[in-house]
Amino acid sequence: MKKSLLIICLFFVFLGCEKKTLSLVKITAKTIEIDSSINKSLKYSQIIKPYKNKMIKEINTIISYAPKDINRYDGEMQSSLGNLLADLCLRRANLIFNKKTNNNIDFSMFNYGGIRAGISKGEVTNKNSFELMPFENSLVILEMSGEKIKQLISYFIKNKKAHPLSKSIKLIINKDDSYELRVNDQEFNSERNYFVLTSDYLQSGGDKMNFFKNPISLFKTDYKMRHAIQDEFKSLDTLKAQIDNRIKLN
Amino acid sequence: MDRRKFLQQTSAAAILTSVGGLTLSSFKKKQKHITILHTNDTHSRIESFESSHSRYPNKGGVARRANLIERIREENPNTLLLDAGDIFQGTPYFNYFGGEIEFKLMSMLKYDLATIGNHDFDNSINGLFKQLPNAKFDFVSANYNFKNTILDTHVKPYKVIIKDGVKIGVFGLGIELEALVDPKMYKETKYIDPIEIAQDMSRILKKEEKCDLVICLSHLGYFYKNNPNKISDLNLAKVTKDIDLIIGGHTHTFLPKPTIVKNSADKNILVNQVGAYGINLGRIDFYFDESNKKIAKGSTILI
Repeated sequence: MKKSLLIICLFFVFLGCEKKTLSLVKITAKTIEIDSSINKSLKYSQIIKPYKNKMIKEINTIISYAPKDINRYDGEMQSSLGNLLADLCLRRANLIFNKKTNNNIDFSMFNYGGIRAGISKGEVTNKNSFELMPFENSLVILEMSGEKIKQLISYFIKNKKAHPLSKSIKLIINKDDSYELRVNDQEFNSERNYFVLTSDYLQSGGDKMNFFKNPISLFKTDYKMRHAIQDEFKSLDTLKAQIDNRIKLN
Repeated sequence: MDRRKFLQQTSAAAILTSVGGLTLSSFKKKQKHITILHTNDTHSRIESFESSHSRYPNKGGVARRANLIERIREENPNTLLLDAGDIFQGTPYFNYFGGEIEFKLMSMLKYDLATIGNHDFDNSINGLFKQLPNAKFDFVSANYNFKNTILDTHVKPYKVIIKDGVKIGVFGLGIELEALVDPKMYKETKYIDPIEIAQDMSRILKKEEKCDLVICLSHLGYFYKNNPNKISDLNLAKVTKDIDLIIGGHTHTFLPKPTIVKNSADKNILVNQVGAYGINLGRIDFYFDESNKKIAKGSTILI
């Protein structure tokens, strides 16, 4: 009796010691969309609440109005949102630049990827400015040679993205990638220097815009892009943004 | 109900990868079930999108994700929750609180691991370090060398997690930071070629650590159409072996289901990415047969 029990015990010990093999036999996968069919967990909402309240007052302040959706997808190598941003940054930064140097910014260029959200039709709040420009990037003005401007335009044409350019640029791109360029209603002159506005992020080589590296001179405004957006929006009752003839594809 | 419908629909399109696994009627057989849940590029999206949002009305939100995850954990306690980076940046929550609430909520959700995305350096490497006490989960990154930075010893190349006796090895991969992040933000962080590192990691995890499942948590990006030779998850999958699943991020790619890719050993592996902003939760279920005898290997991928 006892002996048989011992044998049974040993048998199980033996089983337990034996290395089990696991073999993967089946994989299933599913992407689950999180939408309003899933209830919010109260516990989590309560954790979020004090943080939310702290921010909400400032963020929900209405600063302007958008009569239509403004996004970065609505044009060919330009967009209503990109145009709006490039133009407002130039206007705001030039106030600082002109006062300090007596010069004027010739044009601005930013990157398509840096526009992080669109503006939906309706009231525009500070929240929109955070979503548009969540980064702490500041505006900088570079004095660039005509040769570097050519590199900038080649990059723009080759990249085929709607990188924002200000309306002081008139660029006609032909099918063979040759182009005609006017800056501030004057024919582009490769012999002279230009003052170009961009962000400190792009100036330091972001998005491989290497033509912004080592400029002839560099002026730092210490003015954040987000603040330029907020200041400009506050000054406008209604945001006007559209596709225009700054870029033309032949 | 929902799930059943899903299975019915998909079984018609089921892909039989290999049918080597003729199940031998062994003495004792038990099935083990591991669920992998994952997010990527949540970008400080703490709350659901507004109902007036032009693209994603009412989508996402941590409080909803929490309920979903809880339900799945009840269904299968052997669940792992992973994030493929870019936790930070995108809403004022980040600008105001520097990532504190993101990490606190992820800890409550019981995330197991995350890797580091380029935007996680947006308050500089010091800003990331400052928030680490709020993260009760670990970070894995095998191809960022943090030796000369404040993050040294705080980020491991990989971690092995055992669930129900199944050994799961997870390693992390990050994207090249140059030209993407201002050097003053990532400081002395050194980027190492991800292919060699991935080969090393998968060998260590499969052969030395003897993991049953090897997962790569990547922020390299799914694939670059305009730059097809750039290292990406699809390219990585083809040139490596012993990885079972690559969970990706960075490119905000909304895949309706994982992509099946043949690896360098001609074995099918999965590459997945679930878009961005916490709009989707990825779920991948792995079923293992346990037996005393070694049986011929073969698995069916039903997606």
